[in-house]
Amino acid sequence: MTQYDAIVIGAGHNGLAAAATLAGAGKKVVVLEKNGDPGGMAANSTVAPGYECPAMAHLLSNLDGAEIASLGLERHGFAYAATDLPTISLSSDGKHIVSDAKGVRYADGGALAGEAEFLTLRARLIRFADQLAALKRKPPPSLSGIDWREAASLGKLALGLRRMGKEDMREFLRVLLSNSYDTILDEIDDGPLAGAFALDSVLGGHVGPRSPGTVLTLMYRLANGGAKHQPRGGMGAVMRAFEKSAKSAGAEIRYGAAVERMVLSGDRVTGVVLADGTEISGARVLSSLDPKTTMVLAGVGNFDAEMIRRARHIRTKGCTAKVNLALSAAPVFTGLSDDLHRGRILHAPSLAVMEKAFNLAKYGELPTSPILEVTIPSLADPGLVDGDGHVLSAVVQYVPYSLKQGWADDSRNALGDVVVDCLDQFAPGLKAAVTARQVLSPADIEAQTGAPGGHWHHGEMIADQMLMLRPAPGIERYALPVEGLYLCGASTHPGGDVTGIPGCNAAKAALQVKLGRAAA
Amino acid sequence: MTGHRPNLKDGLPVRRGLVETPFDRHLRPFSLAEDWMPWAGFVSARRFETVEAEYFAIRNQATLFDISPMHKYAITGRDALAVVNRLVTRNAAKLGDNRVGYTVWCDEDGSVIDDGTLFRFSETEFQLCCQEPQYSWLHDIAWGFDVTIEDQSDTIAGLALQGPTSFAVLKEAGFDGVENLKPFGIMDVASGLKISRTGFTGDLGYELWVEASKADELWDRLWPAGQNYGLRPIGGEALDMARIEAGFIAARVDFQPIHDAQRPSRGRTPFELGLDWLVDFEKGHFNGRRALLEAQRRGPRTLLVGLEIEGHKPARDAFVYHGKKKEAGHVTSALWSPTCKRNLALAELRAPYGVSVKDDLWVEIYHPKEGKWEKVMAQAKIAERPFFKNKRRSATPPGLF
Repeated sequence: MTQYDAIVIGAGHNGLAAAATLAGAGKKVVVLEKNGDPGGMAANSTVAPGYECPAMAHLLSNLDGAEIASLGLERHGFAYAATDLPTISLSSDGKHIVSDAKGVRYADGGALAGEAEFLTLRARLIRFADQLAALKRKPPPSLSGIDWREAASLGKLALGLRRMGKEDMREFLRVLLSNSYDTILDEIDDGPLAGAFALDSVLGGHVGPRSPGTVLTLMYRLANGGAKHQPRGGMGAVMRAFEKSAKSAGAEIRYGAAVERMVLSGDRVTGVVLADGTEISGARVLSSLDPKTTMVLAGVGNFDAEMIRRARHIRTKGCTAKVNLALSAAPVFTGLSDDLHRGRILHAPSLAVMEKAFNLAKYGELPTSPILEVTIPSLADPGLVDGDGHVLSAVVQYVPYSLKQGWADDSRNALGDVVVDCLDQFAPGLKAAVTARQVLSPADIEAQTGAPGGHWHHGEMIADQMLMLRPAPGIERYALPVEGLYLCGASTHPGGDVTGIPGCNAAKAALQVKLGRAAA
Repeated sequence: MTGHRPNLKDGLPVRRGLVETPFDRHLRPFSLAEDWMPWAGFVSARRFETVEAEYFAIRNQATLFDISPMHKYAITGRDALAVVNRLVTRNAAKLGDNRVGYTVWCDEDGSVIDDGTLFRFSETEFQLCCQEPQYSWLHDIAWGFDVTIEDQSDTIAGLALQGPTSFAVLKEAGFDGVENLKPFGIMDVASGLKISRTGFTGDLGYELWVEASKADELWDRLWPAGQNYGLRPIGGEALDMARIEAGFIAARVDFQPIHDAQRPSRGRTPFELGLDWLVDFEKGHFNGRRALLEAQRRGPRTLLVGLEIEGHKPARDAFVYHGKKKEAGHVTSALWSPTCKRNLALAELRAPYGVSVKDDLWVEIYHPKEGKWEKVMAQAKIAERPFFKNKRRSATPPGLF
C-alpha cells in the first residue's frame, strides 16, 4: 500500500491549492474527490448539450495575484475573459445605474445625483479594506499566545490604522461591526445604487443589509478595490488550472473517491478509508470539508465535546441559489449598451427590498422579487457555447435552505419562473429565448458539494465567524487537535470566494509541524 | 406545606419555591430544629435536632439522610459505554456490571466539571449521580452517539442509610441478599428499588434508590425495622462532618465546578484535587484528555491536601502559611473530629506548597469566644486521607452490631 505524506479530501479549488503547495514542497500527495470532476462550488455545468455555464460561482474578485503566481495558474491555462466588469444595477423605471472603477452614472451616460457622496463612501471603505488586506492573506492571529512575528504584523495593522488619521480611524472603528444598511443610507438615498453596493455585503450569506457585521463583510470584498473578473472558460476552467497546477507539482488526484472515515492511531491520523473499502495511508490529512463533517469522519469521540459543539454551531445556513439558462439568442436589456451586457447585472432595487427578501427567506419562503447577480458569460467568452446561443448565469440571493414546502421539482420550477419573469421585465423576449434551465437550490448545492446548508462560503462570513474566530476558536490555525489533521477549505480563514488562500495557508501550516517519529 | 405558601398571582400554573422530596412527609415530623436548606431546588434538612447527636448516630448507630435531590441521569443505549468513557476520566470499561465507581469529569481545559458516582448496570445501562445539573452537558458529550439521556432527578428518590447498624436495619427489614453486597456493589432488591453499598461517610452504609412513587412503601418498611438499631434521620451538617473525616471532597466547597465558575482560573484538574488515580490516559480519547496530558507534564498549579492541625479549634476558612509568613493557600473544609480526636482540614495549597514543599506549614485560625475574636497560629502537617478508617466499612458480610 502506498504511503502518502498527505491526503487531501476534496478537489475544490482550496483542496487543489493545498495539494499543489504540499506537492511543491516535495511531499507525496493524493487528492480524493467524491465527484467525477474538480471544482466543488467552482465548477462548470452543462445546461444543455453545447451550453457550458459556471455551475455556481461565476466571477472572481479575490483571487490574489500572489496565489495565481505561486500556483502557476497562468501556466496551466488560467486567463480572464474580461476584467474589471462594470456593475449595472437594474431599475424598474429603466434608469439603470452603472458603476465601475471610474465612478457611477446612469446607463445612458447621464450624471447621477449623490454620485459624490457615494464615491466618498466607497473610497473610504476601500481605504479601510486596504488596512485589513494584510490580515486576509496570512493565517489569522492565534487566540492562544502569539509569537513576535504575529505581534509585529498586528502592530503594523494598528500603525496603519493610526496613519489613516484620527477621523478615519474613528470612523473605521465606528462602522467595523455595523450593518451596511445604516452605513450606506447615512450617506446616500436608498435605491438601486445603494442596493448594488450592499449586495456585496450579503451575497452568499444568510444576512440582510441590516444584519450586524455586514460592513466588515463588505470591506472584505472591497479588499482589492472590489473589482470583479470573468475567467475564460467559466469557473470550470479555473478549476482545471488549479487541477493542473496540483498535478504538475506531482500530486495524484483520484475522482470518484468518497472518504468514508479516517483512520487514527492514538491521537494521530494515519489515513482514510474510502466508501469502497480501500484504505489509503498518509501522515497528514487535509480536509476541505467543513469542520463538523471533518470531525465526524475522524470520529466525534476523538474531539472534546466543546469543540464538537462549536463545530455544530457554526452558522452554515445557505441562502443563495443558482439559476443557469441556455438561451437561443443573446438577451437584450432595455437601456443597456452592448458592452454593458458583458457586465455584472444586478437586481437589487433597494436595501428595503433586500431586507424584505431576507425576511421571506428567514421564514422559509421563496422570493417574490428575487435579488440577482447575473452574468452572460458567453458574450465575452463565446467558447462556452457551441453555435449561436448564449448562457446566462444568475446567482439568486435570499433563497432559503430550509424551504417550508421542501425542495422538490415544483419549488425549483417556481424559483426558476420567478427569476426568469423578473429578468424578462428588463430584457423582453428573454423568457421566450430560454431553451434549457437549471435551478440549484441551497439543498442541491449541499448535495453536490458537501458544503453544509449549501452555504457559498462554507459558513457565514460575519465578524463572529471571521479571522481568529473562523471556523471556530481553537481551530483557527487550520490544525485540528488530532495530530496530522488539518482543515483547508473555505470554512477556514480567510473564508469563502475563490481565493485559494485557505488551501495554501493550511498546507503551509501542515508543512511547519514536525510529525512524530512514527509518522514522518 | 405547599398549601401554606401564598401564590403572589392567583392561578399561577407554575409551582414556586422549593419542592418537597418524596420522603418529606415522613421526615418533616422529626424536625424539631426546623432548620432547612435549599438543595438543587428541594427542601433539605440541615439538622433535625442537634448536629452532635446526628453526627454520633452516623458513627455509632444508623442514620437516614434524604439524598433525593441528587441529580441522577440514566445513560442508556448501544453506545452508552463509549459515551460514559468520553465523559469521565476513569475507564468505565474496567468497571464491572452492577458496580459503582467514584469519578470526575472535565471540560476541554481539563478543569473538573463535577464529581459523582457512576453506576454501571451493564455496558448499555449507566446511571450518573452528582451535585451539579449535567443534562445539557451530557447531551453535548453524547452528540453523534446512539444513547438516550434521561434526567431521573425527579423520578428516583434516594435514602442514604449509613452507620454501623445499617446492615442490621436492612436485614431486619427483610432485604435478602444484602449480606453478599460488597462495597461499591449494586443489587435489585425489589421492583423499582436498588441498593448500592456506597455512601459519603466512609463507614458501613448503603444508598437506597427507589422509584419516587414507591418512596412511601420503602419508608414504611425501613423505619419500623430501624427502631431497635438507633435509626434516626440526619441533616446535611452532620453528614458534612463525616464526609470530611472520610476525606471526600465536595463540589463548590473544596473545588469550584468549572461550569459554575465565573473565573476560568478557578478550574482545577483532577491532579490538583489529588485524584490522579481517576485519570486513565490509556483508554483512548475522553473529554479534556489533551489538556490533562499537558497538565500532567506541567505539574499541578495547586494541590488539595489533608491537614492535621494542632489544637482543637476548627480551622474553618483559615489561611495556610509557610514559615508563618508566606501565604501558601487556604482551608476549604475543617472540623475537630470527635471520632478521630484530631483537628482536621482539607486545604488548597499553591505549588510548590504541598507539592515539593511540605513542611513548616501553619494555619491562622480566628475563632470567636463569646463576643471576642481570638487568633492562633497553629502548626499543620499534611496528613493521609481518609482520616477516618474502619474495617466494618468493607467487611463482607457486614457485622450486625
